[in-house]
Order: sequence, then structure tokens, then C-alpha cells
Amino acid sequence: MTRKQKRFAVILGGLAFLGAATGLTFYALGQKASYFYMPADLASADVQPGQRIRLGGLVEDGTIVRGADASVSFAVTDHESSVKVSYKGVLPDLFREGQGVITEGSFGADGMFIADSVLAKHDERYMPKEVAEGLKEKGVWVESEGD
Amino acid sequence: MIEIGHFALVLAFALALVQATVPLVGTRIGDERMMASAGTVAVACFALTALSFAVLASAYALSDFSVANVWENSHSLKPMLYKITGTWGNHEGSMLLWVLILTFFGSLVAVFGGNLPASLKANVLAVQGMIGAVFLLFVLITSNPFVRLDPAPIEGRDLNPVLQDIGLAVHPPLLYLGYVGFSVCFSFAVAALIDGRIDAAWARWVRPWTLVAWVFLTGGIAMGSYWAYYELGWGGFWFWDPVENASFMPWLSGTALLHSAIVMEKRSALKIWTLLLSILTFSLSLLGTFLVRSGVLTSVHAFASDPSRGVFILCILVLFIGGSLALFALRASALTPGGLFQPISREGALVLNNLFLTTATATILVGTLYPLVVEAFSQDKISVGAPFFNLTFAPLMVPLLILVPFGPLLAWKRGDALAAAQRLMAAFALALLAVLITYLFIDGASVLAALGAGLGFWLIFGALTDLAVKSGAGSASLATMAKRFAGLPRSMFGTALAHLGLGLTVLGIVGTLGFGAEKILAMRPGETVEIADHTLRFDGIYPVRGPNYTESRGRFYLLDAAGNPKAEISSAKRLFPVRQTTTTEAGIRTMGFSQLYISLGDETTDGGTVVRIWWKPLVTLIWGGALVMMLGGAMSLADRRLRVGAPGRRRKPAEAATAGAT
Amino acid sequence: MIFWVVAVALTLCASLAVLLPLTGRSREVAAAADHDLEVYRDQLAELDRDVARGAIPLAEAEQARAEIGRRIIRIGRSEKNEAQLTTSATGRLVRRVSAAAVLAVPLVSWGLYAGIGSPDLPSQPLAARLQKNPAQSTVDELVARAESHLAANPNDGRGWDVLAPIYVRMQRYSDAAAAYRHAIRLLGSTAARQSGLGEALANAAQGMVTADAQAAFEVARSLDPANPKANFYLALALAQEGRKDDAKAAWQAMFAELPSSSPWRQVVAQALAQTGENQAGDAGKMEPTGEAAADAAASMSEEDRNAMIETMVAGLDERLRNDPLDEDGWMKLMRSYLVLGRKEQAEGALKRGVEAFGGESEQARKLAAFGESLGLSLKE
Repeated sequence: MTRKQKRFAVILGGLAFLGAATGLTFYALGQKASYFYMPADLASADVQPGQRIRLGGLVEDGTIVRGADASVSFAVTDHESSVKVSYKGVLPDLFREGQGVITEGSFGADGMFIADSVLAKHDERYMPKEVAEGLKEKGVWVESEGD
Repeated sequence: MIEIGHFALVLAFALALVQATVPLVGTRIGDERMMASAGTVAVACFALTALSFAVLASAYALSDFSVANVWENSHSLKPMLYKITGTWGNHEGSMLLWVLILTFFGSLVAVFGGNLPASLKANVLAVQGMIGAVFLLFVLITSNPFVRLDPAPIEGRDLNPVLQDIGLAVHPPLLYLGYVGFSVCFSFAVAALIDGRIDAAWARWVRPWTLVAWVFLTGGIAMGSYWAYYELGWGGFWFWDPVENASFMPWLSGTALLHSAIVMEKRSALKIWTLLLSILTFSLSLLGTFLVRSGVLTSVHAFASDPSRGVFILCILVLFIGGSLALFALRASALTPGGLFQPISREGALVLNNLFLTTATATILVGTLYPLVVEAFSQDKISVGAPFFNLTFAPLMVPLLILVPFGPLLAWKRGDALAAAQRLMAAFALALLAVLITYLFIDGASVLAALGAGLGFWLIFGALTDLAVKSGAGSASLATMAKRFAGLPRSMFGTALAHLGLGLTVLGIVGTLGFGAEKILAMRPGETVEIADHTLRFDGIYPVRGPNYTESRGRFYLLDAAGNPKAEISSAKRLFPVRQTTTTEAGIRTMGFSQLYISLGDETTDGGTVVRIWWKPLVTLIWGGALVMMLGGAMSLADRRLRVGAPGRRRKPAEAATAGAT
Repeated sequence: MIFWVVAVALTLCASLAVLLPLTGRSREVAAAADHDLEVYRDQLAELDRDVARGAIPLAEAEQARAEIGRRIIRIGRSEKNEAQLTTSATGRLVRRVSAAAVLAVPLVSWGLYAGIGSPDLPSQPLAARLQKNPAQSTVDELVARAESHLAANPNDGRGWDVLAPIYVRMQRYSDAAAAYRHAIRLLGSTAARQSGLGEALANAAQGMVTADAQAAFEVARSLDPANPKANFYLALALAQEGRKDDAKAAWQAMFAELPSSSPWRQVVAQALAQTGENQAGDAGKMEPTGEAAADAAASMSEEDRNAMIETMVAGLDERLRNDPLDEDGWMKLMRSYLVLGRKEQAEGALKRGVEAFGGESEQARKLAAFGESLGLSLKE
């Protein structure tokens, strides 16, 4: 092969490789990116059971029920509607009633949200800003609960 | 005293302006004095920045709350160590540290750059000066740590116990040494573009700088990962969190740069690519610095909360990334391209390495920035987490890791893949053996996990094969082999060690993910639980009073076969009353390279406690491997090959020796 | 003074760093090609070492040597184009640029510093501030001194006992509660300490008598059934639970027993008056606010105190009419009106403040949020 042809072949190979990688990336984005919802958003959104999403909101007062083993259920609310969540595992240190949390998981067939991770606000690097913003948009910001 | 620090910073800015302009004019008109001024000015600039940083650190140490930055981020009751590390625990202070490291590297180039061509040195320092001037201006105008309060408050505002941790204190400086180290490579690249020529010394200089930056960045990332592992109490070592990705991207492209610089040095090939990679790596470092600190990553809207700072950051990114890429587009064609080579050769292998690493960097970049783009253009908030990265990153890494041992065994220019494969037969057999043993003798090992373990061993044995072949295994007697082994250049040890470390890390990851066990259960005092052949007895929860916290400590006993306690593990929940903050202290016991990890949850209604227990086989190898990689980098740095003399009468042995040490 | 001396010295050094290399004698520099040659020579030497060690096969070494040789020849060819001469025109340019650079250092630094620095502010390390003569110290500094003493001697019960009520007056309620708890632990429980603890807890909860606070008041009452603070707050707790009549009865009983000189008479009377208006919630905030006034007001009788607050508030109101762009002032005014139990006027202050800054401004939003935290709403 001449110099030019060789370079062409190398470039073509590289482009094919990049193309494959790009395809994979966008396939993965479509499959694995999880959308963030607040409970009230779920009414309008089309979320299938089993689809991975992140659900954020405040832990509703008086809904935390601890099971005999490490399982726990609670409701996440944005003061408009609320969703029941079940979780098995160690809750974050800051988990308590009225606390902003983000849970990640999917809906079961019975409409219960089964979370495999629960993050609370101020978890150092993992602050659910989305929750704060979502609540602000809905006019239920937490700081002004004086009245 | 405080104001002297403030003034020194302003003065450093003025000097950086001079450093950015005068040498540049000097190289244009060929005036030696103007070019030489860059060195003195760079050193002075560093001295002033250091003075300024020392003043800020002393303000922290002395709790001078007339400095707003100290008031916001410190407290008189903090332990002295954390008072001082608090200097860079906030945006303003960390940016000052960034500039300090930048000017430090600039002064190193100035002091040890005696053997560089004068115009290259002047151009490099001028580009460093530009970066310095822009960042100093950024610090002074939007993030000034020397803003004063009058009257001064009497007590500081921050006593956050989570941040009082030695890992977190050391982590940012290491990371910054890495990020900023790449600025030197960047300056070299831009200097070459400005001059329109790539000197032969270029590659020899870029490689050690890349190595320095890479070693520190490796350390910083490993440290951050370990911190998250033991401090957050979630038992994970990598979360594909945007903050982590921000530091991982420059690491990946820096690793690519490290390899392409070898080709450039040995064969004068891949010149333009190496140049581009230098620019991209530093661009990713800039992105990393800002994305983490500005909070853009958590949300685009965070930008809006402090518009002046946000706009300035955008300007910096556009100026340096856009500017350097534009310069590249304009001038790259003027550079003489390098030599050609066969696809099967050392060069070819290194190109393949670069292809995989840069593609991996790109997928991570897409995954990290995609949520920002989506949020900016629609109202949807999405998160791209571990599932995405596992699906895209792993398929790219596995072939790369399989190919790693071949690279060092191929000859330059025209390699023989078959010969290399033959030499690797032993390593392959051993790795295969490891797969079989793992699969057959470890309960519950999946095929995939066993293959993963084999991959780790393949890398380790491959690295050892490399050393054996280089010492003449198979053709020479044992005595000559030993002699040759001792005489191998340090860079060869460096390569082998780095690849071996990579193998160790892979082994650690595979061990933890593939063979680990996890249990979540509620335990009452006296109950026992079995996990991966270990029996743990829960003794109960005991209150313990610490210096500024109270903790409920859960005590566990590791039982031997007869049921007698042989070791105690305690895991705790700490309450800091001043801040009403709770932290989890994981209980970790190391056995060999493996660890038992216990994290305490809430109490259940029936008097039990939720306990999460992990068995993490070989987990310490993840960070141990990183340490070995760092050691490999340091070995390479110490190689005598880097000691190139300066031409003519200026060639002095002492100078040449110190240049090698950088 | 020292600052100016050091600043001048630093500027001088920095200028010299620029000036010296520029005025030094021009030295001959090696051409870039010479540097390249040096690198290639070194590569050849390395090749020889590798061959001597047997690290690479001879054929490969020969090839590499030939390639390096070709590179050396290539520089030889391009070297001729590189010669550069310094003419008198460039000499002039050099002098001009040098002068500009040397001048730029003091001009840029002093110019910029004049804009952003505060040269007259001395440094104020905490330790030095605490060692000052107490007579010259501010209240804050005295408190800090006591705090650092107590941090070193946490078992000094008397110290906590003295500090606790000061904290209450400074509105650092959670610190006050902690201090009372220390005092109780070290010196034992008394009605005064327990009722103080209760007060601190109640204030920390924005005037709500929480379960903790109620427990403390109950201990205080069991120690001294006539303790007016405990009785008052326990009645307030009843009112806050909605048991207005019980609260009223308790206050009435208390009022009947209080000696006529007691400062509590007026407080109770006010609370009684307010129970009629459904304002019991605000009655918890009996302590006057405003840091400077707090100290003085605390030592006065209740009547004088209210009179003083009245004049202060009136003065503040007047000042804000003339100078409405004072965010802190508006906050202080709102709080003061609430303390005096005049919710309408507090809301009026909020409205005026918001209007002064303009409804959309950041300050207005801040004021509205602050008002909201006090229970005030911005009515149109």
C-alpha cells in the first residue's frame, strides 16, 4: 500500500471504531439513563412498571413503617400527591420525616415503588438539588415552613 | 499581615501579565534578554503566590475572623490540623491553591529548563503566565479569599464534622497537583503551535511532566475513592458520580498522552496527535476543576445563582479550550508530520491504546454532560448512573486490558505479533489456570467472575513476562539474566510496575464485585450471622462519649470455628450535638487483602438493629494497585534517559543531573 | 504603616525581577537546532547502552541508528534558514517593551489593590482579641472569652451558669440550652436553671413550648411551685395546645398570687389580654430583641423596658421612612412590632420594606421570606 492508502485505512478503521462506540453510547443512554420525577409528575408521565427512575420528594410525616427485618416503607410526597416506597437496607443518616430524599428504583406491579437506593439531602456530595428545585417550582419550598 | 497576603496576590497578577507578554514578544523578535526574563518572573510570581497562600493559611490557623473566608469556613474549636486544611476546603481557598500549584510548576520549568531551547522555554512560560494571569484575575475578582469583615465576628461558622477527615484534607491537593501538572503539557503544546515547530526536546520534556501529573492524579483519585469507601458507609468504592468522573476523564486521557508521548519521543511519530492530546487533557482538567467547584454538575441552574462567577468560568473555558483548539486548527498543518510504521508494532499497539482510552474518555464525557444538556434544552431531569457506564466503559476496557501485555513485547517499527504471543504463552497458561482454579474451587463463582479474575492475573503475569523477556529469559543463563535484570533501565521497571498495578486493581475490582457477599438484616444482641465462611456475633450497642460527639457503638465479635471470639469489630453512628449531625463510622476489619465491612442502620421496633455487612474479597488491591501504578510512574521519572544535556558551553554535569530529577 | 513599607518593598522586588533580566547583558543563545542535535546525540548514546546490555537486537539498533542519523541530517538542512539578527529597530522595541513591563508591575498592582484591598484593616487573630483588656472588649468578645475558657474547663459549672442567661439575651437559644444543661449536670437542678432551660428551648423553637421545654418547666415548678417563669410558660403551653380557657385560668391564678412589684405582672396581664384576641402564640416572644438594646433592657424594670422599646421602635420607624434602603432595619422593625404584639404594624413594615426595594428585587424576596418565618404575610 502507498503511504496515502495506509493512512486512509487507519483513519477508516478509527472512524469505524468510533462509530461503534458512539452507537453503543447512545444505545446505553436510551436504556440506562433514569429520569427524575416528583410524585405529582407521575400522573402525566408514562412510567412502566420495571422502568428505572429516580423519585424525589419529602418523606411524608407519619408514614415511616419499619418492618421486622431491615425493610422499611414510607411515602414520598411533594405536597400534591404522594407515592409509597419500600426499601430494604440501611437508610442514610439524615433520613427522617420531612427530609428531602431521592430514591432510585422502579415501580412494582402493585404500584409500590421499590427502591434500591435512598439518598438524603446533605449527604455530603450527594445533595438532591433536584428535589429542592422541584419543590421550589411547585411553590412548596422547605425553608419557609414557619407558618 | 492579612493585607500583605492580599497585596502579594495582586502583585503576582501583575507579574503574571508581564510573564504572559514580554517573553512572547522576545521570541518574535529574537531578543534573548526578553526571553530570559520569563524565568525570573515565573519564580517571583511563585514566591508571591506562596506568600499569599501562607498568609491565608496562617489566618486560618490563628482564627482571624476578620477574613470573611475564614469566618465562613472555620471555627475556633476545630482541631489545628483541620483549621489549616480548611484553607483549601472551600471554593476561594481551593482556587488559590490551584494557582499556587500552577505558579509552582511554572517556576520548576524556569529553574530546571536550562537544557530547553530558549524560545521554547520562553513560549512555555508565557503560556503558563497567561493561565496564571487569568486564574489570578478570577480569584481576585470573583473568588477573593481576602475579603475582609469589619467589625470582625467573634466566631466562625463552620464546624462540619463530616469534613474533618484526613482523607478529604489530602485529596484535593493531590488532585490539583495532577490537574495543574497537565497545564505544563498544555503550555508545551501551545508553545510548539506558536513557534510552528516541534523541537526534539519537546517529547522528552512533555513525558516527565505528564508522568508527574499522572502520578499525582492517580493518587488523588485512589484517595478519593478510598475516602468514599470508608467514610460514606455504603461500602462502594466507585459511584460513577459526576464528581468522580470529572477527575477520571483527565486521568484516562492523561494515560493516553503518557503512551503517545513515548511514540513521539522514540520514533518522532504521532507528533500532532500528542499535541492535541496535551491540549485535550488539560481542557478536561479545567472542566474537572470547575465542574466540581461551581456546582454546575448538580444542576445547570447553579450557574445562575452566582452569575459573575459562572460567566467568568465560561469565559476561561472558552478562552483556553476554544483558543488552543483554534490555534491547533490553524497551525497543525504547518508542523512536520512524523514517521510511519506498520500496524503490528510497538507504535501500533500504543495507537490502539490511545484509541481505546480516548474513546472511553469520550463516553464518560457524554455520560457526564448529557444530563446537563437535556436539562438545559428541556425540563426533563435525568441521571446517568452506574448502569450506563458499566454498559459503555466495560466493553471498551476489556479488549484494551487483554492487549496490554502484548504492547511492551512488540518491537518498534515492525513487530512480530506471533513471537510476542509465544513469549506470553506462559503468562496465558498461568492466567488460564487461575480461571480454572477460581471457577472450580470457589463456591458460587460465575464464569464471568472467573474470567475477570483471569484477566487480572493475565495483566500481572504479562507484566512479569515483560521483565523476564527483557532480562533475556530463555536465551541466557540465570546469572546473566540476574545481571541484565539489575541493569534494566528504570523506565522498563516503571512500565512493568504500572501494568502490574493495573492488574492488581482489576483483580481487586473483580474480587469485590464478583465474589463479594452482602447481608442486610436486623440483629438483636447475642445473635450471630454467617457471611462468606465468617461468623459474626452481635454483642450490642454501647454509648460512647467522644471529644465533641456521642456515639452509639455497635460491637461485633468475629468467631473462630469453636465459637470463641477472636477479634472485635465496632461500627458506630456518631452524633455531633453542635451541628446536630449524624455520621456513620463503618467497622472495617482487614484480613489479608480482603475486608469485612459493617455499617450500622436504625433500630427496629422489636429491639434489633439494622446491620449491613459486606464481605469484600481482595478489595484493598483496588487502591494497592493504584499505589503500585504510582510507584511505576515514579520509577519511570527517575530514569536517566531523561537527563539530556544542553548544547555548547552551558553543559554542566550538575545542571544535567537536576534536570533529570524533575 | 508596616503594611505600606512591606508593600513598597514587595513591589520593588517584583519590579526588579522584571528589570534585571531585561537590562542584563545579552548572551549568546544556542540555536534550537543545537538543542535538537543534543537530544539526538543522547538518543544515540542510549542506543549504544541498550546494545551493550543486549536489550535490543543488533539489526533493530542499526535501523534506529540510521533513522536518528537521518533526523540529524534534516536539521543540518533547515539550520541555514534560522539565523536572526538584532537590528537597531528591534533594539528600540526591546527598550520600549521593557520600560512598559517594568512600569506595569507597580501600576497594575497598586491600581487593582486600591480598588479591592482594605489596607487599614489590621489582622485580628482570635487569641490576641481575647487577651485584650476586658473593659475594651465588646460583649461578643467577652462571651467568646468565656467560651474558650469553658472549652478548656468544661466542668466549670458556675461558668456555664453565668453564660446561659447571656446566651438567651443574645438570642443564641440552642447554645443557651446546652449551657443550662451543663450547669444542671454540674451544679444540680434548681428552679431557676430548669425554667431558664425551658425558656431557651421554647425560644429555640420560635416560641413554641415543646415537649422538652415543658418537661423542664415542670421540673422547675416541682422545685418551686411559685416560680413565675415556669408557671407562665406552662400556661402558654396550654394556650398553644388550644386549651385557651385552662391557660386563662392558670394565668389568672398566677396573676392573683404575684406580688405587685413583680415584673411578671405586666407580662401576664398582656398575655391575658391577648388570649382574647387569639394571639397567644406570639406571647412567647416576651424578650426584647435587638442585640445592643438587649443588655440595657434586661437590667430595667418591665415598664421602663417597654417604654424604651417603644421609643426605639418609633425611632427606627422614623429612620426607615427617610432611608428606606436598609434591609436589616426593616427586619429589626418587623421583629420589634411583633414583640410589642402589633402584628398589623409589622405587616405594614414588611409591605413598606418590599415596596422600598421593589417587588422583584433580591432584598424584597429576602424580606418576604423573613416575614414569612415570623408568620407575617404580604397582603396586597
